[in-house]
Amino acid sequence: MNFQKQLESKQFIVLAEMNTPKGIDVSRFVMDIRQLKDRVDAVVVPDLDNGVMRMNALAGGVLAKRQGLETLIHVYCRDRNRMALQADLLAAHALGLHNLIVAPAQEISQCDHRDAAVVNDLNETGLLETIGTLQNGKDLAGFDLEGRPEFTVGCLMTPWSDKASFEEEIKLTQKKISLGASYVVTPPVFDTGRFAQQLAVLQTLNVPIVATVFLIKSVAVARYIAANEPGAYISEDLIRRIRKAQDREIECLKIAGETVSRLRDMTQAVLIQTMGWEHRLPALLDAAGL
Amino acid sequence: MITAERKPLEEIINCVKPFERILLVGCNECVTVCAAGGRKEVGIVSSALQMAFLKQGKNLQIKEHTLERQCDPEYVEELSTMITGVDAVVSMACGCGVQEVARRFKTVPVFPAVNTKFMGASERQGIWAERCQGCGDCLLGVTGGICPIARCSKQLLNGPCGGSGSGKCEISPDVDCAWHLIWERLKALGLQDRYEQIIPAKDWRTGRGGGPRKIIREDLAE
Repeated sequence: MNFQKQLESKQFIVLAEMNTPKGIDVSRFVMDIRQLKDRVDAVVVPDLDNGVMRMNALAGGVLAKRQGLETLIHVYCRDRNRMALQADLLAAHALGLHNLIVAPAQEISQCDHRDAAVVNDLNETGLLETIGTLQNGKDLAGFDLEGRPEFTVGCLMTPWSDKASFEEEIKLTQKKISLGASYVVTPPVFDTGRFAQQLAVLQTLNVPIVATVFLIKSVAVARYIAANEPGAYISEDLIRRIRKAQDREIECLKIAGETVSRLRDMTQAVLIQTMGWEHRLPALLDAAGL
Repeated sequence: MITAERKPLEEIINCVKPFERILLVGCNECVTVCAAGGRKEVGIVSSALQMAFLKQGKNLQIKEHTLERQCDPEYVEELSTMITGVDAVVSMACGCGVQEVARRFKTVPVFPAVNTKFMGASERQGIWAERCQGCGDCLLGVTGGICPIARCSKQLLNGPCGGSGSGKCEISPDVDCAWHLIWERLKALGLQDRYEQIIPAKDWRTGRGGGPRKIIREDLAE
């Protein structure tokens, strides 16, 4: 079933994020995707995620689609101007990639090519407008297109640290929805209790909510997020649970699986991010009872 | 210097329309030299605004003042005695000056009356041209004193491109090909071998790629 129909069906949707390789050896990427067939509803291919230069999402998306999985790709503005973005969107559609997530980009000083020139010709709202323009059969210069692309478009919310930044993020997301985003992907959810408190506000957005589940892979990662992402709410109890586990890797997979399972009753979809541990996704899904 | 051009009067009128008393502030530095926002232009804009509003039966009160330098807090401070009772400030300085006034006077809206254009030089009377983009890592020593970042339409570090003809750029016969100028200059200096050197891909961190920039001189900073 395509992603648009999945959203309409109101069924619980499981998405898995698959990062492309830094290089041309796609064997692991393809293998990891193949093992997800019939286990997830779609895969999400980020584009140069976390500011790392790697194979782009367009190629990764096509490779994923070839394995028979419904595929979503990220699009972002830092490295391409409006001409390149539009050209890539047309290419994506022609290659069968009809599901987009308009994503923010890492600031260039935090990328692995810090000396690169930054483009930022459009921003996320501008890119959403651009997608709408293409869908109306025109490009941004007003010229007619041969054939109108149709995309299912979502947007990413950036992490909030307090009530004020949550309100700002909600306002910005409302703007993105008014420009065509038909679903919203949240920042990683670590504390489902706290997330439940925010859910009422998120539901006022009146679009499907995709809650992100980030696989914590070690005590160090947990501590890093707890210290640097004040809105993440990683508790000392959770860190202790990983630290005291006999097999920390299994424990981390269990924690993510339990989060997925709890979110099943709260949101229409989850997006699982494993950041390099894509091969452990089947075990994570087992832990989630999926 | 920083060059600027006055905004269309209509745009300035739209900004000040809701107000009755404004302070119109010029700057004695770059915008005076490029005849966009100095004392003389403050007077012209002031008269034009008053006439435009009188035609509509409205009496706009305008205080005029031109600061020695609007991007410098010690000069901007002069406005503190004039700002009382003013509904809005219209600045005729470059964007640096507008922001400095806005930073100092937080409760009064500040509107720009000029569009800041570029860092340039006067080619001849009444003509200014772009010369520098402030990339933060000056190449002029290598390129014979002509900047390919500011003056080549494609910002080529190893030019020219195929669009160079008879010393002009393909975008317009009025635009010199920067790489033609560089080559001619290096030839005149007997430094043709410099042209053979390949200039590596630029590190844009020193430019705007690294985010908003700041210079801290610890020997001068208080």
